[in-house]
Amino acid sequence: MPNWLSKLLGSKESPAPVAPAPPSGAAGEPGYIPLTARPLSDRADSPAMRRPEAPPSRKVVSAPVLVDEEEMSGWSSEIRIKARPDLGMASCVFLVDRPVLQGYSTWIPTATDATESPLAAELFQIPGVESILIHEMTVTVTRHPSVHGPWEPMAKEIGAKIRAHLLSGQPVVSEAFLASIPPEEEIWRRVQQVIDLEVNPGVAAHSGVITLLGVKGNTVTISMGGGCQGCAASTITLKDGIHRAFRSAVPELGAILDDTDHAAGTNPFFKELPEGMRSYA
Amino acid sequence: MPKLQIFRIRIATGEQGRTDIPEFKINGFKIPFDNPRGGVGPGETFEAEGAPQSFAHSLHLCGPTEGTWVIRETTLTYNLMGEPPYTIRLGRVVLDSESDLNIWHERQPVVFDV
Repeated sequence: MPNWLSKLLGSKESPAPVAPAPPSGAAGEPGYIPLTARPLSDRADSPAMRRPEAPPSRKVVSAPVLVDEEEMSGWSSEIRIKARPDLGMASCVFLVDRPVLQGYSTWIPTATDATESPLAAELFQIPGVESILIHEMTVTVTRHPSVHGPWEPMAKEIGAKIRAHLLSGQPVVSEAFLASIPPEEEIWRRVQQVIDLEVNPGVAAHSGVITLLGVKGNTVTISMGGGCQGCAASTITLKDGIHRAFRSAVPELGAILDDTDHAAGTNPFFKELPEGMRSYA
Repeated sequence: MPKLQIFRIRIATGEQGRTDIPEFKINGFKIPFDNPRGGVGPGETFEAEGAPQSFAHSLHLCGPTEGTWVIRETTLTYNLMGEPPYTIRLGRVVLDSESDLNIWHERQPVVFDV
């Protein structure tokens, strides 16, 4: 340290040398050092320092949620439609009491893509509709992020248009669209290739794994396992990553269903804590 | 994620009960129920409350320490901070010494006719 700096700091002497540690001995003897003052390496065999053994992994199961809903059965002349907005209010599922598009599904991301679906073209006339998924007995409408508030007014308008279209006898999708859908084996092969080459190498960094469970018509069902199961980001992974990759490989793809029970399994996102370990609840 | 203040649970046991008192786990911590009433024998009904006063990333009903436990129906009422309470009913499930039941369910979406 320079002289001027020593004066400024008020330190005129170099620090006293540290005395070497005396050898440890038995309790009560000179030079005895309590256990807590010994280096960690000396304490590794101490029972207090042994890591607690993790308890055997427990499986978390889910019971079916019972819903007191009026059963939609027995077709009547009047078409009955129920609307069910999702909790985030971004999209709303319209459940129709009869098939809308039997055996197939279609996803229409924008109004300009609705050329092969007369029903979607009508729904896109409603202000605020951003994208549409038609699958079996359901029509799922996602509204533009700028649209807020309750779904009821918009849902009633959408329900009226679905009902009017089905009563008119007009097709939901064109014959050309149905003819363009590849065979299920071909869809399976192309989707599996995307999973193997793009998706699973990506989610492997988070110990995740995506499995293709089935293809029906142009609808695929997958499950998200490993680190993806129960992960808070699984929805983003599914919609921004998996959907995009699948649709890029198979443009004719309709619904992509996730069959994962994200609250169950042996490796949920929030794991069991070994006994004795603490975490913040 | 809202804070779970208190939840009430009602468990209707089916044909096979358990001998020990049920407990629950929030975020991996095992906690006894408050004010347990009734029983968990075959055909009996157990009622209790839990007061985690915390954010439920996971909420599990612990399985029995031995044997199997057949639950016919579980009714849960959740009181979340700043929200009106809501109730969820769960159907039949079988637990054993190696399994727990997920009892954290968000409010079910509202369904209406259009």
